[in-house]
Amino acid sequence: MKAYLGIDVGSVSTNLVLMDQEQRILQTVYIRTQGQPILSIKKCLAMVMRENPGIEVKGAGTTGSARQLAAVITGADSVKNEITAHAVAASAMVPGVQTVIEIGGQDSKLIILRDGIVTDFAMNTVCAAGTGSFLDQQAARLGIPIEEFGELALKSTLPVRIAGRCAVFAESDMIHKQQTGYAIEDIVAGLCEALVRNFLNNLGKGKQLLAPVVFQGGVAANPGMRDAFARALNTKIIVPEYYHVMGAFGAAILAKEEVARKNGTSFRGFGTANLDISAKSQECTGCPNRCEIVSIVNGSRILARWGDRCGKWSGLSSPGSIVKEKDLMHA
Amino acid sequence: MTGKIVGMPKGLLYHYYYVLWKNFFDALGFRVRVSSDTNKRIVNTGIMSAVDEACLPVKVFYGHVLDVAEQVDYLFLPRIVSVTEKEYMCPKLLGIPDMLKACMINPPCLIDTTINLRNNNSQIYQAIKEICAIIQVPLKDGIRAWQRAEKAQGDYELYLQAGNLPAGFNSNLGEYPIALLGHGYNIYDAYLNMGMIHKLQDLGARIWTKEMVPKSIVDTYARKLPKRMFWTFGKQLLGSGLYYLEHNQVKGIIYVASFGCGPDSMVGDLLERWARRYNNKPFMFLTLDEHSGEAGLVTRLEAFMDMVKRRVG
Repeated sequence: MKAYLGIDVGSVSTNLVLMDQEQRILQTVYIRTQGQPILSIKKCLAMVMRENPGIEVKGAGTTGSARQLAAVITGADSVKNEITAHAVAASAMVPGVQTVIEIGGQDSKLIILRDGIVTDFAMNTVCAAGTGSFLDQQAARLGIPIEEFGELALKSTLPVRIAGRCAVFAESDMIHKQQTGYAIEDIVAGLCEALVRNFLNNLGKGKQLLAPVVFQGGVAANPGMRDAFARALNTKIIVPEYYHVMGAFGAAILAKEEVARKNGTSFRGFGTANLDISAKSQECTGCPNRCEIVSIVNGSRILARWGDRCGKWSGLSSPGSIVKEKDLMHA
Repeated sequence: MTGKIVGMPKGLLYHYYYVLWKNFFDALGFRVRVSSDTNKRIVNTGIMSAVDEACLPVKVFYGHVLDVAEQVDYLFLPRIVSVTEKEYMCPKLLGIPDMLKACMINPPCLIDTTINLRNNNSQIYQAIKEICAIIQVPLKDGIRAWQRAEKAQGDYELYLQAGNLPAGFNSNLGEYPIALLGHGYNIYDAYLNMGMIHKLQDLGARIWTKEMVPKSIVDTYARKLPKRMFWTFGKQLLGSGLYYLEHNQVKGIIYVASFGCGPDSMVGDLLERWARRYNNKPFMFLTLDEHSGEAGLVTRLEAFMDMVKRRVG
């Protein structure tokens, strides 16, 4: 069977989607990245190989903050940013979508579409308040499994007001409310409302959030957040079936488009899962910038290099390049 | 020919007035030494020496001053209060000579003359007189050098208005005109902005800047605001921004601000609101600070250019 692969390597999770030529999803993989993107990419590929041994990959695409790394390892056909990937996926799942809310582990995005085309977007700035990691952390602090966190919020009758501007202040606010005796479900519901308020103030500033509204990313699993968005926007919130792997789905669609353009794939095959791929870093001493150079290595062969400002290292991925390292260091 | 060396830090107003002062000191027989391009060492020294609440470009300016200070006879650190009638520079630029005097242990001779043309353009001659006294040249030579320098600066500004980027950049790349707005020290410092111009050009953008818009157009468009904008650069950003919003060739606007910059937080926001209210042009607000992780910047630039290309279709 012929299929396309999409891989989304984010800070918290690594996701993979295998889809057929009609863009029907055959398999999804969602695992935690745990700070080891190379290992988790290999794990995902191994899982596909195990479940769909006879599959013939016609094209592969990557997205997410480690998309370059993932592309080098797998030989992907398309490498696209998360905004485009999520927008493409949402349009495919919910034709006519006008607003996409995506909240992942470390970042959150708001994408505005009109007639299937992205017309505006926003991403959170340096602050990660309101993203999945913060919810994770608060759930752990309260001793509630993250899976039950949202359900708990739904039991609330009177959400308390929590300061959502900053994760640090939100936490002290929650502790204060909890110490003065508010019910835990009211605090949890209050937190969801605060995060939604923060998201809309921060990212939604000046934008028209029209229905249909699609909510995707790991945090869309949280019914408390879904509910809070529905109330704040006063509209139905659509959570697609594959909400947690939408980035990977978008990457697969983009790979299909790219392969149609260039005829044929550069995907390295599932053998990649068994390769000895690693990353090593070193500091270049060639100038006062002291760039940290990252090399992606397969055995003794260098697949790619980056991290330099001047470009003298990134150009070198050919097999013989190790020899030249010494010269480069001081050039 | 005196052969003495005047040091010029490659930060802040260097990006606007280098041609002017280089020509001035050249004409008087001085040699001008400019600090290195911004690099990690300069940034680190700057951050360690500067006051904590300054914006990144000011901190980096400290690094440039310390980079060049020991190799020169004079250090050019004028207090530029105003360059245009009824307008001001940013308050932090006004305090530059004082802030730096407080951090240098053995500074070379400082040229810290005040230039304040807020009330009267002819104040510049007072300033030239003071500079001449510091560097010990006759006033008439100074005035002649100034006239030559002013001419060179005028020619340079016309060169930029003709659609050119400053030295080191290729103005002819890219097919999608994108207005890249921000203070010169953010836009043209490729270290601080992580090579933003090159990255955008690689993605197909043709870079248009506020320096490409003539003053008369800036003035006309800045008058759309109910109140006069009294920061010189703020007015340039706003005037050129409103002009580019209406310009039918410009496909999108990227506003680059420094974290903690008062004028940027106001001007950028005004422009963003204007863009959303009256115009349907892609607009993106980017904030620069000390973090050096490029991934976030690259994602935003890529997504922005994807959006522009799909909209142009």
